[in-house]
Amino acid sequence: MALILGALVIILVACENKNRDVTPPQIDQATFLPADCDIYYLSDTMLVHFVCSDDSELGNYNIEIHSNFDHHTHGTSGVDCEDDEHDDAEHEHEGDAEHEHEAVEGAWVYNHDFSIDRGKTSETIDLKIAVPADVAVGDYHFMLRLTDRAGWQTIKAVAIHLHRQTE
Amino acid sequence: MSLLTLLSVVLLSVPVSIEVDTSDFRLAEVVVTANHHHGTRLSSVSSVEVDATSLTAELQGSLAKGLDAIAGVQASAIGSGQSRPAIRGLGFNRLAIIHDGIRHEGQQWGDDHGLEIDRFAIDNIEIIKGASALLYGSDAIGGAILLNSSPRPSFDSIYKPVSGSAHLFARSNNLLLGASVRLEGVHPIIGDNEPREQSFYWRLNMTYQDYADYSVPTDSFEYYSYRIPLYKRTLRNTAGREADGSLTLGYSTYHWHTCLRVFETWSASGFFANAHGLEVRLSDIDYDRSRRDVDLPKQSVNHLKVLWHTAYSYDHWGVEVNAAWQHNLRREESEPVSHGFMPTPPNTLERQFSKHTATLNVSARWQVAARHTLRLGMLGEMQHNRRSGWGFIIPDFEQYSVGLFASEEWRVNNNLMLNAGVRYDYQHTHIHPYEDWYLTPVGDTAVYQQRSSALRRSFNSFTWSAGMQYKTAGWLVKANIGKAFRTPIAKELGADGVNYHIFRYEAGNGELNPEECYQADVSVAWENKYVRLQADPFVGYFPNYIYLNPTSDYREGLQLYRYTQARVVRAGAEMMLTVRPWEYLDISLQGEYLFARQLSGEKAGYGLPFSPPWRLMPQLRFHWKEQGYAAVDVRVSGAQRDIVPPEKPTEGWWTLNMSAGQRFSFNTCALTLNLKAENILNTKYFDHTSYYRLIDIPEAGWNLSAMVSVDF
Repeated sequence: MALILGALVIILVACENKNRDVTPPQIDQATFLPADCDIYYLSDTMLVHFVCSDDSELGNYNIEIHSNFDHHTHGTSGVDCEDDEHDDAEHEHEGDAEHEHEAVEGAWVYNHDFSIDRGKTSETIDLKIAVPADVAVGDYHFMLRLTDRAGWQTIKAVAIHLHRQTE
Repeated sequence: MSLLTLLSVVLLSVPVSIEVDTSDFRLAEVVVTANHHHGTRLSSVSSVEVDATSLTAELQGSLAKGLDAIAGVQASAIGSGQSRPAIRGLGFNRLAIIHDGIRHEGQQWGDDHGLEIDRFAIDNIEIIKGASALLYGSDAIGGAILLNSSPRPSFDSIYKPVSGSAHLFARSNNLLLGASVRLEGVHPIIGDNEPREQSFYWRLNMTYQDYADYSVPTDSFEYYSYRIPLYKRTLRNTAGREADGSLTLGYSTYHWHTCLRVFETWSASGFFANAHGLEVRLSDIDYDRSRRDVDLPKQSVNHLKVLWHTAYSYDHWGVEVNAAWQHNLRREESEPVSHGFMPTPPNTLERQFSKHTATLNVSARWQVAARHTLRLGMLGEMQHNRRSGWGFIIPDFEQYSVGLFASEEWRVNNNLMLNAGVRYDYQHTHIHPYEDWYLTPVGDTAVYQQRSSALRRSFNSFTWSAGMQYKTAGWLVKANIGKAFRTPIAKELGADGVNYHIFRYEAGNGELNPEECYQADVSVAWENKYVRLQADPFVGYFPNYIYLNPTSDYREGLQLYRYTQARVVRAGAEMMLTVRPWEYLDISLQGEYLFARQLSGEKAGYGLPFSPPWRLMPQLRFHWKEQGYAAVDVRVSGAQRDIVPPEKPTEGWWTLNMSAGQRFSFNTCALTLNLKAENILNTKYFDHTSYYRLIDIPEAGWNLSAMVSVDF
């Protein structure tokens, strides 16, 4: 009994001295690009800009752009943009789930992993993403996933629109 | 044997539902049945027993939820108003569920997979806290829960052609309605008045329940800063139904006992619609049109278990054989949605698992000398698992294992008992390769990515344990030291791909070794006429705890979680105090505390995920003989700030609960009423061990449950 209690105390003392990172990385919301409801055109260039930081060490990030034709949502973007095409679709096909989730041919899928140099606690990222010329237009999600070295993740999702040049 | 059983019953210590039998301090009637299933339990282990009467009164929620009134046992909510048990913070594959002597084998690795067992077919539960690999093998590294149906109907019932019981029950929180019926009979074959000589018996159990979406004390919840409103404070699509049936046919003589049992459970329930897995999702399905319907995403599970038990005992020796076949069929359906490079799937079948398990356990007991009893055992198991559907989590596999153990119990004198044992296990796992059904662009080409590669691994484990029990006037002391193990499961070895359920990339590790644990525990109890006090401290060291480590890397667009092994130390204690100032009143206080640290690897210095915070459970209980009781209790839980990514700290909370029951006995039957009110103040709180804690959904709101039971 005493042995176990003794072991307990030693463990408690020995294990409590390590500095642990318990906060996820931060993304500056004010300067983030793209912004909600931004419109991009085929063959356009999308400018991505964000400032990220972490109290101990930044990890890596991933950018994903995928169609939101089926209006699922991943996270931080709760914005209903005025020209969201699914508003109309919803009325037309109410309760018709099968139709809503039909695969849309030629939807743009962009998915790239990026690394940040080791040892950084703050970083400004500027990227140019080329919008393909031959993808389906409509509602899309832009998603940024960011980790710190300890494995905490912060997600930022933005609703964007892809239009044809002539529109 | 009966002395051993009695001694171990003395240890059973939770005042609420546990029967303690000593001359001075008699909390309730002791039910010592002729026990064919757990006769092999070591007397030194710390265990808690719950009998049939308490089961009816306490387990008004799920099986696991009722058990969390016991210090050291936690119930983790998994949605649909269901929960799964953990002992001292260890659950899933670190906890063996032994049903009538056979390890229950479902898809127990899953975060939201419940237990496929009809609780009304269970008459007795034993909780074994702490590593118990010696008798129960792999998975019992955190402990074991023994679920036993009584071996045969009481011999009192030979005077009636049929006896049994019926229950009607309801819950307000999820509008649950259910019914369960048991019919049984004993038929002496020779000698009408001596059924023990030779008798045939049978039992039939049937249970059905139907529940609606469960309610939580919040109008909306926020996940990744996205606010999701809840319709009428209910969690969309968490309704479901369950139907269970079982049949037992048995034959017994004075020395022989043999029976065949068939259990079938079926359940169908929805997954919470706004967060299938951990992804927030909006759908066009009108979930709010009905609270009782089950839409996509949903799951259905069939579990069939056929069990054959035979025991023979004569004088100084006995032999027991348990053989079983189980088939677990689980289907998970959801709306087909494209993700990443996966196009929209053709149908709703996201995942299906079909697992067959065949088990054979043989054990023998031999009283070598007056004070020495030797036990030998052989346990063999075969598993065969096949998956289908468009979502991949675990590969197909086969698994073969065999274990041999020997243990010796020495009653040194009337106060002291010692035991020790050794065990050897061999397991072979064969994992099949799996390739995506869709193409992923790699450079200039597109390939069907391999998600799991063929793997054959063999594992050897040697484990041991030793224990003592010392009993003297007013005192009972138990101590154990031992080594336990757990072989890595297919998911830990072979996963390599996106887990769309939790939205992360999980990479298995084919090099993992069997997880081992060295544990020491002590249980000290003291009592007199008015007071009973018990403390159960423990410490455990894992040289290679298998841990799914969230890394800072991305793979295929999602955060990479990688199975690794780390040195881990865990320690804690449970405490139980009961004061009986008056014959009809018990004042009790239970508490538990657990501490865990990773000592090596990337997360050195962190704890373990889903670690339960400290808990205190004071209770006032009035009881009048065996006829009735009324109790009020408070559950107090500390905050949990000892977190690991991706967890969030959880604040402390407390809830107020009440329960009451009354039994009315008549000539040939008895009527029992049980009422239970949980979370009376409708407190909004988060349980750190619950799965939905990760997406900020609080625990269930207030609930009133009622049960009417008739025994005839």
